[in-house]
Amino acid sequence: MRRSLVALTLAALWLPSAARAADLPFHGFVEAAAGARVVNDDTTDDDFLLEEARFQVDILADTDAATLQFRADFLHDGVEEDSLVDVREANVALTPLDSLDLKVGRQVLTWGTGDLIFLNDLFPKDWQSFFIGRDDEYLKKPSDAVRGTWFGDWLTVDVAWMPVFEADGYISGERISYWNPLADRRFGPDDPAIDPDEPAKSWGNGTLAARLSGSVGQWETELYGFRGHWGQPKGFDPDRGTAYFPRLEAWGASVRGSALGGVANAEFSWYRSLDDLDGDDPTVPNSQVRALAGFGHELARDQTLAVQAYLERTLDYPDAGFTDQNRWWLTARYTGLFLQQNLTLSLFGFYSPTEDDAYLRPVASYKVSDEVLVTVGGNVFLGAHDDTFFGQFSDNTNVYGRVRYSF
Amino acid sequence: MRKFAIALAGLALLAWPAGPARALTVDEIVNKANLASYYAGDDGVARARMVITDQQGRTRERVFTILRKDVEDGGRQYYYVYFHKPGDVRKMVFMVHKNMDRDDDRWLYLPALDLVKRIAASDKRTSFVGSHFFYEDVSGRSIGEDTHELKEETAEHYVLENVPKDPSTVEFASYTLWIDKKTFLPVKAEYVDGRGKVYRRMTVEKIEDVDGFPTVTRARMEDLNTGGYTVMTFEKIRYNQGLSDKIFTERYLRKPPRKYIRR
Repeated sequence: MRRSLVALTLAALWLPSAARAADLPFHGFVEAAAGARVVNDDTTDDDFLLEEARFQVDILADTDAATLQFRADFLHDGVEEDSLVDVREANVALTPLDSLDLKVGRQVLTWGTGDLIFLNDLFPKDWQSFFIGRDDEYLKKPSDAVRGTWFGDWLTVDVAWMPVFEADGYISGERISYWNPLADRRFGPDDPAIDPDEPAKSWGNGTLAARLSGSVGQWETELYGFRGHWGQPKGFDPDRGTAYFPRLEAWGASVRGSALGGVANAEFSWYRSLDDLDGDDPTVPNSQVRALAGFGHELARDQTLAVQAYLERTLDYPDAGFTDQNRWWLTARYTGLFLQQNLTLSLFGFYSPTEDDAYLRPVASYKVSDEVLVTVGGNVFLGAHDDTFFGQFSDNTNVYGRVRYSF
Repeated sequence: MRKFAIALAGLALLAWPAGPARALTVDEIVNKANLASYYAGDDGVARARMVITDQQGRTRERVFTILRKDVEDGGRQYYYVYFHKPGDVRKMVFMVHKNMDRDDDRWLYLPALDLVKRIAASDKRTSFVGSHFFYEDVSGRSIGEDTHELKEETAEHYVLENVPKDPSTVEFASYTLWIDKKTFLPVKAEYVDGRGKVYRRMTVEKIEDVDGFPTVTRARMEDLNTGGYTVMTFEKIRYNQGLSDKIFTERYLRKPPRKYIRR
């Protein structure tokens, strides 16, 4: 297993000359990554959270009629002791009418204005990747979708339809241990993983997301609608003793633009928990309203600071859940570019004053050359309590490193 | 239209060959230089290549396609920059709506995340993609930000000294421009720091006629303090392609206009 990592790293070092010599008809990268806990976790003896080598192939072909995009990672995951293919994109983009774009197939979908806080972007995320030190790219999980975008003079309409439900890469204990409030203890790799029921693959269980966007003066404004399921198994069926993904509908709005010498944004969303609209079922999350305001600006040359304030308010409180009615989050992101922009230092911090919860995400990356990028970083969980969002992961504070060769 | 105007100007010169040309005012020179450098045609497409050499002689390369459209000559503009190289920024798109009365609007599209990012940075005197050229060197420095003085007039050049009106927003105390009298293209720029030392120099190394527009096709920017420099070359230059305003919107961040971007 370790040997395969070495072999792939060697391959990564050899590939550049080969790639240049052959002028390959595709692009991509080879990456080796490792990361481990730096604190003790009682649920497991294994410290390694990340140990993998991946080879990404990126092929773009275009004709006047269509653009074809294929991008896939072939990876060996040393933690899972498994090799797999992760198809990130496999789609065809068409413009059947002057005012209509269609993208059909596997694709990454993103909208909304938050930075690592998602309100109206209910497309699948991979939180596990995010917390073990993979590239930010892997926070977004691809969807198998049909996306249509119609462009009017004043209004743009996006509709994305995903016929089959795709769950988030939620924390299930297989790698990162978490606090289970029902059992009142931490669950980790040595415990049975959460094995929730996925929604049946029926027409009615598809996910539909839509956005209307347009400019009002200098402001980009959007309205959003979503109908599908919670991305995480937040429901519990007591009869069968299994977790499941309750149905969710969301309506929202956002605005973004230049203000006060920086960029300001605000976003709102109303989550309607369709399986518990009255909020009287303790096994299903209640409806919520979520609101976000953010502002980013340049501190000095090549250095920016962006702050966000976020509120998640549970409706029909008290809920049987374990959170406060109002959960406040404050975030700050510092990004600095140094050494002719070859060194990037960034620190993202979450802090919740209502839950005494915090999380830090320091990252440093250096471009050794146009091809080689070295990244080191950490995920630091600082929550004061076991039952808060980041506090539950407190035994998983980790550091990681990655070397990537792009071609 | 512009060609016609140039032809007309040529005719006018032929008609009165003996008459002493009225000396241009400084403002006229500055305006003409600004239009010649950054507003040729109504729009333009080019493939740019930057070779960045650091003080230790290591090189890095950037290749991008740049699309420009003028909303009005000497005024607002749109820029669309699609990256081909290096691999880690391939397919990323950087877009600018250059404004006259307020900060520019800047966006970055990250294809792997399908993310349209609004860029908060507003400082135009920062390195463009890690090169020795600044944003302002690529898209033009607003002429109203400096006072201009004609220091010297040689047979070939107007030599202008430019002093910032608000020195706190820039890193230089002044800069001198050598403007070619025939094309009105600045062919050399030297930036002077507070101690009177030239620390930064731009040199045009090649000018070609493209569709009747004299065009800089090779320029060098040197950081004289570190010894690092960047050479930028342009190829496949085309003017007046009838670029639609729509290209400079979110739609084309997600769906780059292949017609102009293909090699």
